[in-house]
Amino acid sequence: METIQINDNIRLTCIGMTKLKTTSLGIYIHRPLRAEEASYNALLPLVLKRGSKLCPDQESAAKYLDGLYGATMGASVLKRGEDQIIYFDAETISDSYAPEGEKLLRALIKLLMSVVFDPFTENGAFSEKYTEQEKINACDRIDAFVNDKRQYASQRCQQETARGTDFAVMHYGDKDRIKSISAKALYEHYSSIITSSVIDIYICGAYDSEEAAKAVRAYTDSLSFTKAEIPRTEMIERTEQGVHEVTERMDVAQGKLAVGFLTNTPALSDDIYALAVFNSLFGAGAHSKLFNNVREKLSLAYYASSQLEKLKGIITVNAGIEFANFDKAYNETLAQLEEIRNGNISEHEFEASKIFILNLCNSYYDDQRALVSYYVSARIAGSDDTLEDYIEKIGRVSVEDVVRVSKKIQLDTVYFLTGKGEA
Amino acid sequence: MELTFRKNDKTGEVLYSGRHCSGLEIYIIPKKGYSGAYAVFGTRYGSVDSEFVVPGDTEPTSVPDGIAHYLEHKMFDQPDGSNVFDKFSEYGGNANAFTSFNVTAYLFSCTANFEKNLETLLDYVQSPYYTDQTVEKEQGIIGQEIRMYDDNPGWKLFFNYINCLYQNHPVKKEIAGTVESISHITADYLYKCYNTFYNLSNMAIVIVGNVDVDSAVSVIERGIKKNEPFTEPIKKIYPEEPEAVASHYAEKSMAVSTPMFMMGFKDTDTGEGGDKLLKKQIEISILLRMLYAKGSPIYKKLYDMSLINSTFSLDYTMQPDYAFTSIDGESRDPEQVYSVILEETEKTLENGLDREDFERAKKVMWGRYVRSLNDIDDYAVTFMQLLFMGIDYFDYYDVYKTVTFEDVEKRFRQHFKRENAALSVIKPL
Repeated sequence: METIQINDNIRLTCIGMTKLKTTSLGIYIHRPLRAEEASYNALLPLVLKRGSKLCPDQESAAKYLDGLYGATMGASVLKRGEDQIIYFDAETISDSYAPEGEKLLRALIKLLMSVVFDPFTENGAFSEKYTEQEKINACDRIDAFVNDKRQYASQRCQQETARGTDFAVMHYGDKDRIKSISAKALYEHYSSIITSSVIDIYICGAYDSEEAAKAVRAYTDSLSFTKAEIPRTEMIERTEQGVHEVTERMDVAQGKLAVGFLTNTPALSDDIYALAVFNSLFGAGAHSKLFNNVREKLSLAYYASSQLEKLKGIITVNAGIEFANFDKAYNETLAQLEEIRNGNISEHEFEASKIFILNLCNSYYDDQRALVSYYVSARIAGSDDTLEDYIEKIGRVSVEDVVRVSKKIQLDTVYFLTGKGEA
Repeated sequence: MELTFRKNDKTGEVLYSGRHCSGLEIYIIPKKGYSGAYAVFGTRYGSVDSEFVVPGDTEPTSVPDGIAHYLEHKMFDQPDGSNVFDKFSEYGGNANAFTSFNVTAYLFSCTANFEKNLETLLDYVQSPYYTDQTVEKEQGIIGQEIRMYDDNPGWKLFFNYINCLYQNHPVKKEIAGTVESISHITADYLYKCYNTFYNLSNMAIVIVGNVDVDSAVSVIERGIKKNEPFTEPIKKIYPEEPEAVASHYAEKSMAVSTPMFMMGFKDTDTGEGGDKLLKKQIEISILLRMLYAKGSPIYKKLYDMSLINSTFSLDYTMQPDYAFTSIDGESRDPEQVYSVILEETEKTLENGLDREDFERAKKVMWGRYVRSLNDIDDYAVTFMQLLFMGIDYFDYYDVYKTVTFEDVEKRFRQHFKRENAALSVIKPL
């Protein structure tokens, strides 16, 4: 891994992975997740992708990419804790597989740089047409959120668990705010953040790092930057007692139970590794307590799983169930947490929970996006762990560590998506 | 066991393959430098196979819909009452299985203990154990799986679409069956299907990743249980499917935000597998790209009219005996999308295709192929699915290079016909 600091804000990281036949590129622009600017940040990548000075419209960009043997380019917005990331992702087959010896990576970097740093403009603003069309798309994306009920219930539960904090802000933005954004206002926002945000550029695959740095500088040297920091996320701590209950009704055939817990373990604490093993044991896979009890033993659900949000300190449990089985599934979820707290963990369960994580981490070495995503997440958390460090620290977690972190877990929110006619 | 070695100069990939005397086909693709390895053990048996003649029998057998998928779930139960997931998790194998229209497959990925995991895979897939009690237990779990799909608008959109295209073919039916159909499944039925379709001569194993070929082969040889290969093929009975579509339109209301659509064309030029099928697949994929992908005039028109958004996607599903294209996305006005696409396609038919567009789209197919060799999971599964259609994915290039502009022009006239088109819509409540 090689890191080149382009300027105060922009950092280029190159990771070699030539066993794959592709090279991937990622650009991450870090912004604090706040209601005031979330809608701008959500709309921005969609408009930027529509046109750059190099390829002023979708058609020319599509042809440019097709000419690179169908290289891909995507633009979206991600959420890591309270870091709202404007994200560009691109991939090409590596130069050594180009039948005519073409320089594919060089051409792809150029396009991506042009999209991010040299957008297509009209009279000092983004194109009116592009902005209006992408506002519709951005609103559709928010509306479409409800289509996948499993994901919807899970996200809603996370939001409810994080109530009152910026984490509850939707990273896709707010429809009313998006509708009010003009092409000019969006361009002003762009101009102000592009030089005042931390920007991470990752290349993973086969590359010449000096040449890549040069290609980046060609687009950034003329800009002047204001030094920025990566947004930090504060873990939720809540002293009040009582469970926050939320029920939503929709025309659905299956109920979705989601339970939100606070971990009370900060992302930089030494206990974070034990918390990851706890989550694996509790509900992350076919070896877990929830899978084996809620699904296999009680036949209540096809899926019953838990997810960890390290930065904000939330674990969410999700299960798709018959409406009438709410109590059974909820009680069993809490009972399985209690089992772990009481140390009722077999050696097999414990080892399987660790191996599951280790296996997953080792598989990142074969996946460019997953490996980069690990490093981006670590950087946002402020952790210096390399993937090797992380694997090693997971390996050292003991049963006692897991029991200790389980005792800090605090029930917070119960969310239920139920049918319209249900009680 | 003798293995054949091949190397592909265009991609640098290598392949070892052979057939065991039990009838099992074996394919191993070692990948240098990878951490992970992936194995998939599959059978030519899917949700469409509810009626068949067992080799040796004279009369056809008929079983309840959804049984292939049910059988897949029940393979995880072991005679000693244990669960296969436990064994895999002991060795760090991440195990799973899937049932599609034509394939049932059991698989795992791991980054350590490959041989132990492979041993486990071979063992459990060859150890059927069903009792009426264990069969009963699964009703609740699969019932919830079916309910989950009932709430999945993308899934309903797809099934309504193929129900427009097909009058009789069982691809119309839900893979998991219905709550009613699975209530008729018994241990006896499961054994009947198992003993027919899980004969090793109907199966293959594909391994991709960080593996030692010799030790993988010896694990397989040791792991193969007694098996008498069939000397004749299993006769699968499908009802006769007319060329005409069942209907041009279907709609359903569900809890979604924007209407969703899926449209496309029923492929009436069917009946061939192997190289011919692969060639057709390349031709149609090139055409989809030329006609409707970003960069095409039709896409631009739809986007500028705000009829489509970025969810727009193109696909071609194929088997030797059925195939169809599909174009899907979200739209305020799906019927308008349908009529614009059909009209503009007809205009292009009159005006002709552009040779440069063809060259560009063909380049994209090559990039896509090279990219598909990256991910060991997808590579192995694609390899097996195509193998079962008689296609050699390893030598994709040999077929790819034969595709000409004239082939694509001919395919264009053959496939993209209004009378074979249909539209499925999911509307908000």
